[in-house]
Amino acid sequence: MISCTEFIWAYNELFKFLHGRHGKEAVQELWKGISEEFLGNLDELVREKGIDGMREYWTHTLTEEGADYVMTVKEDAFYIDMHRCPSVALISEGPSSKYPHYCEHCAWLYPPLLEKSGFEAHMHIIDPERGECRLSVYRRCPRAGS
Amino acid sequence: MAYEHVHKDFHGALSFALQFLSDRYGRGEMEGYLRQVAREIYGPLRKRLRQEGLKALEEHWRKVFTLEGAEEGRDFTLSYEEGALVLRVRRCPAVHHIKERGYKLAEDFCESTRVVNEGICRPVGYDCSVDYERGAGRCVQRFWREG
Repeated sequence: MISCTEFIWAYNELFKFLHGRHGKEAVQELWKGISEEFLGNLDELVREKGIDGMREYWTHTLTEEGADYVMTVKEDAFYIDMHRCPSVALISEGPSSKYPHYCEHCAWLYPPLLEKSGFEAHMHIIDPERGECRLSVYRRCPRAGS
Repeated sequence: MAYEHVHKDFHGALSFALQFLSDRYGRGEMEGYLRQVAREIYGPLRKRLRQEGLKALEEHWRKVFTLEGAEEGRDFTLSYEEGALVLRVRRCPAVHHIKERGYKLAEDFCESTRVVNEGICRPVGYDCSVDYERGAGRCVQRFWREG
C-alpha cells in the first residue's frame, strides 16, 4: 500500500512519468480527468452550498494537509491565499525532483469545476518554488443587493 | 515517511490515477509508473532494507499502518515465519476509505502493492509475495531474503 502520507510524491512522480512517456498533453488530460471525474465531492458541495461549500471543502482538506493559508469568504467572492503549499513543501523535502509544471495542476483541477456552478475562478501561481499561490473565485451574477 | 498530515482522500486519487493509466495507456504503463514510484520514492527504504534487513520493512509498515489509523493486532499484524517477514492486513485503510467515500476502486489497486513491493525488494536481494482478495481490504504480504 502506498500510504496517503506518501501520495504527493507518487502524484508528482505520475506527472513526471506521463510527461516523459507521453508529453505534457497527457499530464493535462490526467488533470482534466481528475477535475471531471474524481472531484465529485467538491462539485456536489459547490452545487448545493455555493461559496459555503468551497469553505467547507477547503477547510477540511487544507487542515488535513497542514497548509499555511488565509481563506477569505465574502458573499460573492472566495479567496485562498496559500503562503506555504503543503504539497510543494513535501516535494521539496522529498526523495525525488519536483515536476517543473507541478503547480499548474490546481489551475486545471479547480477553476473549470467551479465555473460549471456559475463562478469565475482564477488560479494565480505566485512562486512555484515556495508554494505560494492565490485562488480567486467570484460569483458571476452577484446576488441582488450585494 | 513523508509527513504526518493524513489526508485519506489521496487513496481515492491514487486509485483514479491507476485506472486512468491502465485505461488510457495499458496495464504495462501502469506497472511502469509503479516501478518508477518504487525506485524514486522508496529509494531510501530500499537502502535501509539492504543495510538493515527485514527490520527496516517491519518498521516501515508499522509506521505506515499506524499513521493511517490501523491498530496492530486488530487491523494488521507483523510477524516472522521461517525467516520471512509476514504482514497480514485484515482491514486495509486505503481500500476501506475508498469504499466508504464511494470512490471507484481501480481494477489493479491491490496489484499495485505487488509491483511496488517487488520494486523495493528485488534490486537489493530480497523477494516478496502478496495474496489478496480484491476489494475485500485483506491481504498477506511476505518478504524474504533471496538465496
